[in-house]
Amino acid sequence: MKRSEAATWFIAPALLLLAAVTIYPIIHVIYLSLHRKLLIFGISEFVGLQNFLFLLKDGRFWGALGNTAYFTALSVSGELILGLALALLMNKAFSGKGFVRAMVLIPWAIPTVVSAKMWEWMYNGDFGILNYLLGTKVNWLGDPFWALHAAIMMDVWKTTPFVAILLLAGLQLIPPDLYSAARIDGAGPFRLFRHVTLPLIKPMILIVLIFRSLDAFRVFDAVYVLTGGGPANTTETLSVYAYKVLFQTLQIGYGSALAVVVFICVGLIAIGFIGIMGRRVAYR
Amino acid sequence: MLTKFPLILLLLCLSLFYCAACTKTPHDGEKGSYVTIVFTHGKIPGDYEQFKRILRQFERENPGIRVVDRTLPSSTDEQHQFYVINLDAGSKDFDVLSMDVIWVPEFAMAGWLRDVSGLLSESELHDIFPGPLEAVTYMGKRYAVPWYIDAGLLYYRKDLLDDIGAKPPKTWDELVRTARLITERSKGIYGFIWQGKQYEGLVCDVLEYLWSHGGNVLENGKVVLHSPENVRALTFMRELIVRDRVSPEIVTTLVEESSRHIFGNGRAVFMRNWPYAWNIFERDGSPVKGKIGVAALPSAAGHPSASTLGGWQIGINRHSKHPDAAERFVRFLTSRESQKTLALTVGYKPTRRSLYSDADLKRQQPFIASLHDILLNARPRPVSPYYMMMTQILQPEFSAAIAGIKKPSDALMSAERQVQHVLGVRP
Repeated sequence: MKRSEAATWFIAPALLLLAAVTIYPIIHVIYLSLHRKLLIFGISEFVGLQNFLFLLKDGRFWGALGNTAYFTALSVSGELILGLALALLMNKAFSGKGFVRAMVLIPWAIPTVVSAKMWEWMYNGDFGILNYLLGTKVNWLGDPFWALHAAIMMDVWKTTPFVAILLLAGLQLIPPDLYSAARIDGAGPFRLFRHVTLPLIKPMILIVLIFRSLDAFRVFDAVYVLTGGGPANTTETLSVYAYKVLFQTLQIGYGSALAVVVFICVGLIAIGFIGIMGRRVAYR
Repeated sequence: MLTKFPLILLLLCLSLFYCAACTKTPHDGEKGSYVTIVFTHGKIPGDYEQFKRILRQFERENPGIRVVDRTLPSSTDEQHQFYVINLDAGSKDFDVLSMDVIWVPEFAMAGWLRDVSGLLSESELHDIFPGPLEAVTYMGKRYAVPWYIDAGLLYYRKDLLDDIGAKPPKTWDELVRTARLITERSKGIYGFIWQGKQYEGLVCDVLEYLWSHGGNVLENGKVVLHSPENVRALTFMRELIVRDRVSPEIVTTLVEESSRHIFGNGRAVFMRNWPYAWNIFERDGSPVKGKIGVAALPSAAGHPSASTLGGWQIGINRHSKHPDAAERFVRFLTSRESQKTLALTVGYKPTRRSLYSDADLKRQQPFIASLHDILLNARPRPVSPYYMMMTQILQPEFSAAIAGIKKPSDALMSAERQVQHVLGVRP
């Protein structure tokens, strides 16, 4: 047996498992999305792309898509900026570095549902600590403007550590002599960052962007716990909408179509970023 | 290590299946002959042991039947999801199930429930409140037996009302006036709180305003959401926040428990909530102990008060392997005696009217007699297999009107069109 053949046999079980737990459900959801399937009425009929055509006319879908895109853009850029700052800070040699790194990861380690519950209390407009500290009287989760931003802030708080740790790994791969050489050439801290650090951690930044955008675009638990999509659907994301259609109103076909759209969007985001990354690598 | 992971996962899955299989083994035939029926329900408030005792009593009275009870997640949405997934798959894993009042027509239409019309005698039917009976009836047949009942109530601070010599309000305008008088005198206290978050509770609250202004959602199968009465009702709710300022802005985030906390800390004059809150307010150490009263919700002048019906019903899985045992258990659990025990131990309000004059219950819960008339008039949310779809339309539209994103009339118009679409009614 050739080595490559042996390798195929070795990875076959893993592939099979993957097929069973991811590929089969994906195909099944696509299959369902082409049907009009209403559980309680015992209706299940093939309707082709009708569900997707209905999506185009569904104002609630467009609202959810807008909310999701806005959530993704704002939370990912916030996480990137704060995460980079945090990574640069942690990259400096100081005593207790290991301890700080471990501490920083805590928000990331807490399950989202738990932290969402925690933030729900902090955002409480009546006795929440946030209003108390800021001296404001903002109705964080009940105000149509603030509610989505409150969810974004929570997401930034939760995932900035993850971004920081990834970027820190990137920073530590940069050979120190590059900095020495640049310094000899007379570069100040800003130019060091702009022309040494940034180009060299770009691949890592792209990886972070892929991971985070995919995650943020599928956001469900944070929003579901904080607001349930309210007020007036201003925080309803695609995943929350799909959940309600699938499991609360039991429109399996239409809900699957929504899930497929989330899947397609996420796929496009991934392909887009990988395309950019491929070019970068080729460029280098 | 990493390469072993799938294998470990596989083994883990296999072992889980194995365990699931062994718990599923039916007990019939082994050791004498008894059947085991499984009862699924939501979290039992208060002393769970008391509840267990009731189940053991059933087993003593019915040798040959054992009852295993399973507690589902406390969120109603998750319970609904559990039932839908399992019942649709024809699961036989549970025989008897407890259902929220809004699910019965849906489950009945899907063919998931056994017809239990024959379980109640004529005299029992007369004793049970009409609201829950209507809610468990689908196409002339009953698919569940009412277990306990809930309805929206107005809680008020007796002491604060006495201070200004006010009586519990009969109309919404009186409520606003009284609330304003009291909040002007004592700062830091809210006038009137209710459930304004976008969720099922909001629909319960809004319906009470629609009904008590003479409006409705459906009439003889016709969608009547966009009516002058409903517009007035929804406008009034918005005005409670922005014009009368008796309800704080944060009312748009409140659910039952968060409003109960505020009122229970003595920080509101009036509150709309379900009967469960009373027992908590009257506990030792509660800041409002002995200071609260309960009344029917106010109404617009010239209209009767209305409160939304809640509560849970017991039904039988159509695919149950032991329908006879299951029927016995349903009869037992919904009997006068069990309902009385549950009322005394875990505070479930009985669905049988005669219990509201029961001496033991009145001694322990003095306010129960005053609940009777309110419960008698409690109205179910639209009894329709389409209800879950309707509420998904109503929730965001009502929320939009209350948060001031849409004009009440626009929200109602939009809701009416969508509900018509769901019901397949051509306008």
